[in-house]
Amino acid sequence: MITAVRKPMEEIRGMIAPFKKILIVGCGTCVAECASGGEKEVGLLASALRIDAKNRKREIEIKEMTIDRQCVYEFIDQLTGIIENYEAVLSLGCGAGVQALAEIFPVAKIFPALNTTFIGQTKEPGLWIENCRACGDCKLGDFAAICPVTRCSKSLFNGPCGGSKDGNCEVDPELPCAWNLIITRLEEKGELGRLEKIYEPVDWSKMGKGPRKIMREDQSI
Amino acid sequence: MTSSRLKKILEKGHFAVTSECGPPKGADPKAVQDKGKTLKGFVDSVNVTDNQTGVVRLSSMASCVLLKNEGLEPVLQMVTRDRNRIALQSDILGASALGLRNILCLTGDHQSFGNQPQAKGVFDLDSIQLIQTVRKMRDQGVILGGEKLTLPPDLFIGAAENPFADPLNYRAARLAKKVAAGAEFIQTQCIYNIGRFKEWMVEIRERGLHKKVFILGGITPLKSARMAEYMSKNVAGIDVPAEIIERMKSVPAGDQRKEGIKITIELIKELQGIEGVHGVHIMAIEWEDAVPEIVREAGLAQRPDVD
Amino acid sequence: MKKTNAGKKYAIFFCQQIDKNQDVNRRSIEKEFGPQIRFFPIPCSGRIEPLHLMRAIESGADKVYVVTCPEGACRYREGNIRARKRLLYTQNLIEEIGLERGMLELIRLKAGNNYTVDKLTRELLG
Repeated sequence: MITAVRKPMEEIRGMIAPFKKILIVGCGTCVAECASGGEKEVGLLASALRIDAKNRKREIEIKEMTIDRQCVYEFIDQLTGIIENYEAVLSLGCGAGVQALAEIFPVAKIFPALNTTFIGQTKEPGLWIENCRACGDCKLGDFAAICPVTRCSKSLFNGPCGGSKDGNCEVDPELPCAWNLIITRLEEKGELGRLEKIYEPVDWSKMGKGPRKIMREDQSI
Repeated sequence: MTSSRLKKILEKGHFAVTSECGPPKGADPKAVQDKGKTLKGFVDSVNVTDNQTGVVRLSSMASCVLLKNEGLEPVLQMVTRDRNRIALQSDILGASALGLRNILCLTGDHQSFGNQPQAKGVFDLDSIQLIQTVRKMRDQGVILGGEKLTLPPDLFIGAAENPFADPLNYRAARLAKKVAAGAEFIQTQCIYNIGRFKEWMVEIRERGLHKKVFILGGITPLKSARMAEYMSKNVAGIDVPAEIIERMKSVPAGDQRKEGIKITIELIKELQGIEGVHGVHIMAIEWEDAVPEIVREAGLAQRPDVD
Repeated sequence: MKKTNAGKKYAIFFCQQIDKNQDVNRRSIEKEFGPQIRFFPIPCSGRIEPLHLMRAIESGADKVYVVTCPEGACRYREGNIRARKRLLYTQNLIEEIGLERGMLELIRLKAGNNYTVDKLTRELLG
């Protein structure tokens, strides 16, 4: 899933300061799962902004709305006929959602309320970890399903470096060393021999020469 | 084919003595030249660090040329942290064209440790891929992707290895990988735990790696008990045994530098006795003055003449 | 009620488990204080959501209490721990909009005592 965290209130307040009628749009998919942009979070942000406006003796009118997906036209279309009534829109979608809204409603003033952070996994309630950089050329099969691009601070393909200590990374001692994990897991499987091969320089162009796109004839209409 | 002096010394079976020079935090050539003058005649070559620990300093390549003009043989350290493959290959050609003959291929310390923690780390290649790249350029006369060079670079190719980092049981395998990639000499992380180093060398010999690559043991003289404690606690991948820290503490502060030098000399003597160790790499961090004394007292001041 | 508290509005969220007769016991207080106090009995303090606390502030509460059972005594094991975490989260949020953290207060009852909501409320309001 795509994870995100709410921007500081001060930044959000700054963005909407000139406006009185505000639509807050949540997204029910990834950012709802990571508790940053779903219906609940829309409610919280709306409540906080209303309290804040009242304390500053400012007038504000907020409408809350959460759509299933902010990155797909069919869902965004639900805002047609509503969005036009508001001076500004605070999107609690990921970066893709904010841009999709803005593309479909080019006149609306759309602001991001979240900082999109990473592609990750819900490791336990309240803990999300980054484990994919969308490099476009997945090599997890070679590394016991632990991504060296994402989980090694130096993205080494022929690790570990000299900074692995007690199974943790020197860059952040709270962070497990990806290469320690790779080696341990391959050892357990009796597949450590896999690492004898030198990994050739990676083709980073698969990460995009600019924005990437996927086109599928069979899916198009 | 390379005309590296370090290579000749190692090939002739001499116990090599190399050292290190950290460039200044400024555009001051004299700082490099002065360090060169201190070391000249006592060591076979001098490594020049490449923005070590992510701290901006006078460039490694420029400093190497300054040292070369002083009559020393520099080893260009090159990290993949700051340059992509275009810049790395270009600098490899540049180094050779400027007459540098040794390169040490490193990934480099993470940028978050330095004075530019906001920098974007490049890490397009890792150290092993860099070794492979230099080797390809030199031996096959091509760059990555196969395009031919008009003149290949002439460089003796080195790498670093840390026998003390985790996972310990993978460290010899990692050296094997660097050798397979094409490393011709290895300079190790600083050794304080000679016992652990010897264990690692046993593994190295079992794999026959000591016959395929020249291994130089790295040593950093301790300036004080505090430095010993600091390195032990705060620098990942450095193993300072408690006995060394105790020994440093057991002498008064004013004598601790002397004790540090004594320990260094004892370690060098130990290294000389280990099969498969071909030299010592003395990294006296901001303490280059100590090197001549160490080399002299270790009985290594008579450097071989191979030219 | 002390004079300084006169006119202040209170919202009191409390775990129903702490007083089996809360329904009856709170009536006298509600009569006495009228709209100054609003009670929100909840089956377990772990059901508290930040949004409930925000809504209480939005509705004009000057002070919001969350009363939980003693540590280790939660009928649903971890309800009172969750209540504390959510209260902390909400305290951070209101601080970001310039309100005092103290507007939200967690009251964790002591073990071994029998509480009634009316007595407790009088204690809280001094």
